[in-house]
Amino acid sequence: MTLLTIEHLNKTYADGTEALRDVSVRAADGEILAILGGSGCGKTTLLRLVAGLDEASGGVISVGGERMTGTHRTISAVFQEPRLLPWLNVEQNIGFGGQHLSAEERSGRTAALLDRVGLAGYGKRWPKDLSGGQQQRVAIARALIGHPGILLLDEPFSALDPFTRGSLHELLLALWQEMKPTVLMVTHDVDEAVFLADRIVVMQPRPGRVHETITMNLPRPRDRISPVFDTVKRRIMHAIDRSLGEHGRIGLRQAAGELSPWW
Amino acid sequence: MGGAARPWLTGLIVPVLLGVAWEAGVRFGLIPGRLMPPPSALWHSAVAMTHAGELQTHVAATLWRVLTGFGIGAATGTVLGTLTGASERARLLLDPTIQGVRAIPSLAWVPLFILWLGIFETSKLALVALGVFFPVYLGVLSSIQDVDRKLVEVGRVFGLTSFGIVRRITMPAIMPVWIAALRSGLGLGFMFVIAAELMGASEGLGFLLLDGQQMGRADSILVAMVTFALLGKLADGMIVGLSRPLLRWQDTVRARL
Ligand SMILES: Nc1ncnc2c1ncn2[C@@H]1O[C@H](COP(=O)(O)OP(=O)(O)OP(=O)(O)O)[C@@H](O)[C@H]1O
Ligand SMILES: [Mg+2]
Repeated sequence: MTLLTIEHLNKTYADGTEALRDVSVRAADGEILAILGGSGCGKTTLLRLVAGLDEASGGVISVGGERMTGTHRTISAVFQEPRLLPWLNVEQNIGFGGQHLSAEERSGRTAALLDRVGLAGYGKRWPKDLSGGQQQRVAIARALIGHPGILLLDEPFSALDPFTRGSLHELLLALWQEMKPTVLMVTHDVDEAVFLADRIVVMQPRPGRVHETITMNLPRPRDRISPVFDTVKRRIMHAIDRSLGEHGRIGLRQAAGELSPWW
Repeated sequence: MGGAARPWLTGLIVPVLLGVAWEAGVRFGLIPGRLMPPPSALWHSAVAMTHAGELQTHVAATLWRVLTGFGIGAATGTVLGTLTGASERARLLLDPTIQGVRAIPSLAWVPLFILWLGIFETSKLALVALGVFFPVYLGVLSSIQDVDRKLVEVGRVFGLTSFGIVRRITMPAIMPVWIAALRSGLGLGFMFVIAAELMGASEGLGFLLLDGQQMGRADSILVAMVTFALLGKLADGMIVGLSRPLLRWQDTVRARL
């Protein structure tokens, strides 16, 4: 049901910017797919098309074999900013993600999720009275309350400090293991991608397209400071370096061939 | 603020001092009491007018005009502002006309209203409603256009219909501006009701002003003015009080005071 296929997707904005050209990506049921790539290579555009917030210029997005048009109940999202509704308290914000649920179901799941994301006792607070990390926890709970088949994440942790980010990675993984949504996650952070993803799609800019797809063979739980983690990171960095072409070198000194192959 | 037990008392210091100085000035013959009756004289006049039942009649007439006119003006301003704010087509169609009408100083309508609607209640209500309409219309229109697109997208992602987005995103988002617009509309409503009553009325606080001028009674003019101040403050305070629970979420400097 929640297999996500994106075929030959094109997007040209009204001003003529070609943001995506012939992008094809498949995410298996319950897979975590990270999308990495330099700035402006169409990552946000891709997520917005899948979310149904923008219309593609060509190509097909389908979920479980059903062709998508517009937004869909099984697809939910966490944005780069928490985007909580300031006039709703924490509980109501979480409940907002479960529009189709009955009132009892909604309040039951809200209470459980509040506890799960470590905000038990914060239910009656206003968003303005939470820290950035706490707000993003609420946003995650809001995205999961409806038990989505597909969860879209657009750099959800990029504004947070490394420790908060690390603990939110753990939280996200734990919730993913419980609910097993298919996750499509955009990030700039190689470490984040390697820690979380089953596969990494490296995109290249102007126009945005898929440069390379790399499968992670790292078992979970993963250790951020293990040598093998580093080796994988290096491989990804090299893929990004190549994807950026002559003008976007990111300062790698050791050639890819000199790395000990781990795969 | 400032650690005072009743901060609003601070606001009373200046008026009380002025009142005392005024009273003293009249007693010592520095101020002509007939043209500038002191607070004690005003108090006596107000009590006498209340005993005669006069003041209540005027207050009731004025309040009825302001509140009815305010209701009409605020309702049409809200509806039209919502329409032009939410629909590009409605905005292109209606907004230029409304802005054009706004360019006419509202008091310029008085002769026409009297000609069309007579000198009795209808023309007065129309004038008050017109005065209230514009700030409310402008506030609603601009605040709808200022609603954060990102929050609207949240509504879309979580499956709200267009109507649901208006109800659950747009309406709460514009609430602070809408309430501020209602408050300035109400202020204008009080201003326009005086204009309307000065044009010709047999009762109302505006009539009391005019009557006081013609009879040479500064005390009834001042009583009318003070009553206006009290009514205006009371009505504004009611909007503020009623809206406070709706705006507690706001993250503003004001909310922290
Ligand atoms: N609404 C828009 N209208 C016109 N061009 C746009 C619009 N949104 C994005 N673009 C362009 O499309 C391209 C891809 O943008 P997008 O935001 O998808 O990149 P991104 O990969 O998410 O970048 P970043 O990593 O910096 O967030 C860019 O060249 C951008 O300027
Ligand atoms: Mg982006």
